Order: sequence, then C-alpha cells, then structure tokens
Amino acid sequence: MVQSILDAISLGGLYSLAALGLGLVFGVMRLVNFAHAELITIAAYTLVLTAQFPLAVSLLFTVIVTVFVALLMEFSVYRRLRGVNPAIMLIASFGLSTVLQRVYELMFGALPRSAVVAPFLRGDFKVAGLSITISSIITIVLTIVILLAMGYLIEKTSLGLQLRAASADFKTARLLGVRSNRLISAAFGLSGVLAACVALILVIQNPQISPYYGLNITILSLVGIVIGGIASLRGAALGGFIVGVVLSSLNTLLGNGRVYAYSWLFILVLVILLVRPGGLLSKGSELERV
Amino acid sequence: MKHGGVTKFSIQNLLGPIIVLILLTHFVGGASTSLQLVTQMALCLFVMVLALQVFVGNSGVLSFGHGAFALIGSYVSAILTAPVNIKDNALSMNQLWEPLVSPQVNIYVALVISAAVSGLIAAITGIFLMRLNGLAAGIATFALLGVAYNVFFNNKKIGPGSQALPGVPLIDNNWILLLLAVLSLILVYFINISRIGRTLRATREDAMAAPALGISIFKVRLIAFIISGAVAGLSGGMYSHVAGTFQVQDYYLEFTFITLSMLIVGGSASIWGALVGTFLITAVGQVLLMMEQDLPVFGIQVQIPLGSRAVIIALTFVAVLLWRSGGITNGKEFRIPKLKKIS
Amino acid sequence: MALLEVTNLVAGYGKVEVISDVSFTLEPGKSIGIVGPNGVGKSTLLQAIAGGIAPKGGTITFDGKNIAGKKPEDIVRLGLSLVPEGRQIFSGLTVRENLSLGLTGRRNKKGANEAILKVRELFPVLLTHENHQAGMLSGGQQQQLAIARALISEPKVLLLDEPSLGLAPTVITDVFDRLKEIIEMGTAVVIVEQRANLVTSFAEKTIVIRDGKVQSTLTSADAANSESLQRSYFGAGE
Ligand SMILES: Nc1ncnc2c1ncn2[C@@H]1O[C@H](COP(=O)(O)OP(=O)(O)O)[C@@H](O)[C@H]1O
Ligand SMILES: [Mg+2]
Repeated sequence: MVQSILDAISLGGLYSLAALGLGLVFGVMRLVNFAHAELITIAAYTLVLTAQFPLAVSLLFTVIVTVFVALLMEFSVYRRLRGVNPAIMLIASFGLSTVLQRVYELMFGALPRSAVVAPFLRGDFKVAGLSITISSIITIVLTIVILLAMGYLIEKTSLGLQLRAASADFKTARLLGVRSNRLISAAFGLSGVLAACVALILVIQNPQISPYYGLNITILSLVGIVIGGIASLRGAALGGFIVGVVLSSLNTLLGNGRVYAYSWLFILVLVILLVRPGGLLSKGSELERV
Repeated sequence: MKHGGVTKFSIQNLLGPIIVLILLTHFVGGASTSLQLVTQMALCLFVMVLALQVFVGNSGVLSFGHGAFALIGSYVSAILTAPVNIKDNALSMNQLWEPLVSPQVNIYVALVISAAVSGLIAAITGIFLMRLNGLAAGIATFALLGVAYNVFFNNKKIGPGSQALPGVPLIDNNWILLLLAVLSLILVYFINISRIGRTLRATREDAMAAPALGISIFKVRLIAFIISGAVAGLSGGMYSHVAGTFQVQDYYLEFTFITLSMLIVGGSASIWGALVGTFLITAVGQVLLMMEQDLPVFGIQVQIPLGSRAVIIALTFVAVLLWRSGGITNGKEFRIPKLKKIS
Repeated sequence: MALLEVTNLVAGYGKVEVISDVSFTLEPGKSIGIVGPNGVGKSTLLQAIAGGIAPKGGTITFDGKNIAGKKPEDIVRLGLSLVPEGRQIFSGLTVRENLSLGLTGRRNKKGANEAILKVRELFPVLLTHENHQAGMLSGGQQQQLAIARALISEPKVLLLDEPSLGLAPTVITDVFDRLKEIIEMGTAVVIVEQRANLVTSFAEKTIVIRDGKVQSTLTSADAANSESLQRSYFGAGE
C-alpha cells in the first residue's frame, strides 16, 4: 500500500518533468514537440553507453549530448518553421521523431542496449516493517529537487520572466527587447536538460534502451499537458503529475484488468477535456488565446 | 494548410484525379506481381487519405483518431469473412467469443458493414469529440485511437489480440479496388464542394485557437467526421482483403503518422493533394526498398544501407514541409486541360 | 541631423500594401503626431518602424543607421521603443515584473536602477501597485505601465500607438501631461491618434495619413484652425 502510493507519486513526478519540458517549448513557439521523446531516448542511450564512467561524468556527458540534440532540432528544423500553423509544426515534429528513431536504430541497433546505471540505487529497504524500493524514494527526491530548481528558474530569474512573458505574448516581449532566437534556444536547451533528468530516473528503473524508449512517456505527458492546461507551465506540470498518478493507481487497482489501464486513462482524459476544454488550470480568458 | 479548395463543380477537377488513378492502376499495377501488390495497398491508403482529407483538410482540425476507424473497419471486414475453421482454431487458443465465430458474409457486404460500423462509431464519438477544438481535439482524437488499440490489442474474446487473424479472403483484382477508390473520391469531392465543405473551410481553425464552437459548426463538423470515419472504415476493410490478414498493430502510431504525412505532403486542401501525397510517398518508399535490396530501379542499380529507407522517407517529409508548408500541391486541384481546337 | 528619418516607406501584410509611401523626419527631443481614420495603417506604420513587421520598401534611418527590416529586439536596443496599441501589458505578471521586462531592452545594464527610479518618480501610482497583477490595474494605470515599461530602456525615440484608446477624458489629460514631461526630459516622441485634436495642440507637427500616403502636414501653429480642418476630413469630431 505504502509502496503503491510512493510509486504513484514518483510516476506522477516523472511525468510532470517530461510535461514541463514539452510545456517550455510549447510556450515560446506553440510547438508540440513530439520529438521530445527522442531527446529522452538519446539521453537514456548516453547514460547506458557511458555507464562504465563515474555517475557524475556520465550524467554531465548525457546532459551535453541531449542539449546538443535539442538545439540541433531547433536550428535545423523548427527555426525554419516558426510562425507556421501549429498543426504543421506538430506534424513536422512527428516526422523528426521518426527520423531520429531510425537514426538511433541504425546507430545503436534495433535490439535493446542495457547496462546497470547507478547500482546503489537498486534494491529496497525496510521502514517500520514495510519494504520500500530505493528507486521510488530516489525518484521522488530527485523530482522534487528538479521541480524546485525549475520553479526557481521560472519564477525568480530574468530568463524565467522572459519565458513567461514570451509564452503569454511573444510579439510584445520582442518589442521590449526579448531576443527571440536566444530565448527559443534556451527553451530547447532546458527541455533537453529536463529530458536528461527524465531519462536518468527512467533508466534507474528500466535500463533496456530501444529506439522507442522515450515514446510512451512523451505521449502520456502530452496528454497530461493538455488536460492540465497548456497555457501555463504549472498546468503542464500538474497535468503530467495527474496522468502519472492515475496510471500508476489504475495499475494497482485494476488487478488483472490492468492491461486496460490505458483505456480508462484515455476515457478519463476525454471526460476532463469535455468538461474543461482548456485544461484544468485554464481560466476563461486563456481558453480564447491558446 | 492553406485555405483553398474548390467550391464549384467542375467535371475537369473531378475527372483529372480519376484519370490519373486509372492510369496508375493500369500501368503500375499491371507491371509486375510485386508492383501489383504495392498498387493495391496504395489504393487502400489513398482511400484512407481521402477520409482524412474530407475532415482534416476541410476543418483544419488535426485528427489522430482515424486509425481507430480504419482498425475497426479492417477488423469488421476480416472477422465477417475469415473462414470459420480459422476463427475457431487458429485464433489465440480458441478464446474468440462464440457468436463471432460463425458469421460468414460476402466480401462486399462485409465492406459495406465495415464502413457503416466505423461511421456509426464516428457518430457516437464525434458527438463528444467535435465539441473540442485545437490541441484538445488533437489529444482527444488520439485518446480514441489509444482506447481502440488498447482494447483490441488485449481482448482475445473479440479478436486476435496482439496476433494476426490470417485467412481473410483476398480481393485480388486491381479494378475492383480502383472502383472503390473512385467511388470514395467522388463522395469526398461532392462533400468538398457542398455547403458542408464550404462551411467547414470558412470556419477552419488554423491557429489551434479554441473559441467555443457554435452549434452549426459543431453539426457540420460532426457530419464530416461521420463520413470521414466511414470512408476510413472502408479503407481498413479494403486493406484486410488486400493483405489477407487483420492485425491491430497495423493501425497505430506509424499508420497514423504515415497517412497524415501523405495528406500534408501532398497538400491537405485538395483531393489532388491526397492523391499526390499517397502515391508519391508510396513510390519513394518502393524505390528505396528496391535500393535497399540492391534491385535495379529503372535499370539503375544504387544500393543504400538496410534500414535507411525510413530515414529518407521521414527526412523527405520534413524537407517538403520546410520547403512548402502548404504541401506539394498547395491546395490546388488538378484539372485535365481543355483540348484546344485545331483550326 | 534628424534622429529618425522615414523615407518612402512601404508596409503591409502578405501581398496587401497598407502603407504605400510615407516619409517624415523627427529631430532629437521633438514630437510628431500621426493621425488618420481607423484602418488607414497607422499601427502598421509604427510596427514597421519598430520591427514588428518587415517593411516592404523605403528606408528608416535611426541615429544614422538604417534599421529597416531589423528585428524588434535589436531596434529597441538601439534606443527606439514602441508602446503598442491596446497597451499589451502582461496581465498575468505583476507590475514589477512588467517593468523588469523593460530592462531586457537596455543596451547596457549600467544605470538600470536610475532608470527605474526615474520612471517610478514619473508614475508614482505604479509604485503602490508593484506587487499586484498588472491585469488588475485600471485602464489609465495600464497605459501608464505600458509607457513606463517602454521608458525603462531609456529610448531616444518613443513611439506611442493610440495611448488615449479607451480612456476617460480626465485620464487622457493625465497621460498626455506625462508625455509632455517625457519630451521635456529629452525623449523624442511619435504619437499616433485617430483624433487629430488630441495631438495637433501637443506635437510640433502632425502628419495626416490617407490612402497609404502622407496627405498633409500640420504644424502646431495652425492647430486652432486645423481642428475644424480635421473635422471636415474625418467627418466627425467625436
Ligand atoms: N496582422 C494583420 N494581417 C493582415 N491585415 C492586417 C493586420 N493588421 C492590420 N491589418 C489591416 O491593415 C489595415 C491597417 O490596419 P492598422 O494599421 O491597424 O490601421 P490603424 O492603426 O490605422 O487603425 C487594415 O485594413 C487592417 O485590416
Ligand atoms: Mg491602430
């Protein structure tokens, strides 16, 4: 029971990190970056392929590689699509996602690559007679730390202020001097950092990396940001969290019926969207804008 | 997606794509056995892309849910026509629900039923889905696909689950498939030029903005969604009778992506765009496949590494969008040129 | 030498030309009014100067540099700020955050504190609402915030697009009094209004835009009779 609750919270936290990465980029350029999945995947590959180095080195390397791929996406494709109808951008990101999946397949093979990352985070310990996995605690702690750091960055720094302003009204933000290229690059860079964090947590739990590794979590986080309210980063994080918690709870509660967890989740999503089309955190005015 | 689309009936606009389809079916479909199969599959996909065109192309609302209608159409047609002994024995250790084992109907009756069932499901789900706009609509339609996939993948009482249902009787005739494609094309063409099509285009939302939908827009979208769902169902049904099997995995993310790309690469605003997109992507895929297998293409032998085909297709797709976000045809219909009188 | 010199400017959207030939000059520390009926292209003109849209032709020389087609974020750093139509404050951010955003457009970060202090002195009401959401302010306060936000980058030229829009007459007087102070402190001002009477008495000269071109130029000297003139042009005195 305690373990189930911890699992639900840690999955929720994980999804909220992924949702934040998507939300940052969506905010500044109205792009639903489906290829965020491939950022998570490349981060996971890098973690596994550099597992023989000390964790700190491996992590640093992973962040660098992931941010590089994120910026590469922006420079090679998205920069040229700026201002284009968001539906076209979304489809282009689908295409980019496929390109990267196939490139990974050519580079790393179709079969899963694996290695033990951070073995000291495996296993479980006992508290008051209850057995609790270390990874769930680590996930929760890591998530909280990362969310707090992101919260600080977004609420308290100049970059964060610019990101919030640009998400609300990019045109006016530019008139005030916000540098569009730099800011969008920064958003992509940050989404890369977040993808690396997500990959770290995922890899601790499941170190079997295939070209599609990041797909599932990205789709579900996407669903999350829409039900949370894509107009704000808080909404995105909240939505991601809800999807994670619901999915984890469904898996626990449904027993043998857990294969249908996704169906129940999607039905819940439909209901939420019908009641609040702009997402849970939307106000009337935001509905019209986004 | 550019505004565009044709509003007035013009026999040249209608006949143009039909003639191209006939020529393709005749020359490519008749060239060799392998090209025949490719052509047949392309005809099925073309019907699917038409289904997307009539809804997505006109309303501007992206649907990720049409895979569900194709899936259901494919399933219905397969389960109604596959031989009883196959349904009885081969399927996932005999778990199929009893009333589904015995039915046997004619292929064409089955196709009509697939279109009808998919249309019905589109009607029921559309009542909810068509209230949404923008990204919410995109995610909601995706949720529909997610539910359909999840249920069919796991439930062995209603179908083969994650396995394939083999033995589905084939329509081994290019011309019948062509006829079905042409009929769908004519239907979609008339919807496009009708009041429904015009209203949809007038109220399309390119900005993914989400104002509350007026009741009339809702109705018009719903009608287009139902027709589009039925056509998608037909395409799924056709596909089971071309491939000879039904398998859930054929209708998930990759299918959704490839069919939407076909629409958008060709240009979502016109039937001609749907046609160009479908056959171009199919042709590029086929040529690259032959290159991967080191077979000569038009007498020229170029070998490319195994697996690079999909990269090139997806790259081409992204490149087309970068080059021209309205797609190759940019909303134009193809007209057969008027013959000039020779004086 | 003129601080801002617009020559034969062409601007519009897509294939549509809204502004086909507009020229004017502005000296340092001076003011110019731009008037014309609704939809004539006044906002388009200002957006083209500030970089919000790319001009289709002509030149815009600011401080000796051609700025036509530059990005808005670069133009503001050169010292030209636009207060857009409808104020466009960030209603979800606090007053303080709105003002801080103005800092991004400064060329050098030195002197930022002085600039903030100066602006606060000019608009004391903003000080009392510093931590409130900007959306909660009254219309007049929002306009003041928008002007204050643009001033924080200490521009040499301030462009204002219909600052009187939606404000009560007494509030309008208030806002225009501030603008006078701003000009006195050495900032040149371009002010767009639909109604000529608001600006002819205020600016040294006023240009009238019609059919994408400068139809006539009025000086403050003929402000008195120009008002009746304007009435006949625009058909209403409102
Ligand atoms: N973003 C835009 N896209 C296309 N046309 C526009 C846009 N903004 C304004 N217009 C058109 O340009 C013309 C001039 O508009 P505007 O510059 O706002 O006039 P004014 O500020 O003088 O009232 C109008 O006909 C308007 O419809
Ligand atoms: Mg205006």
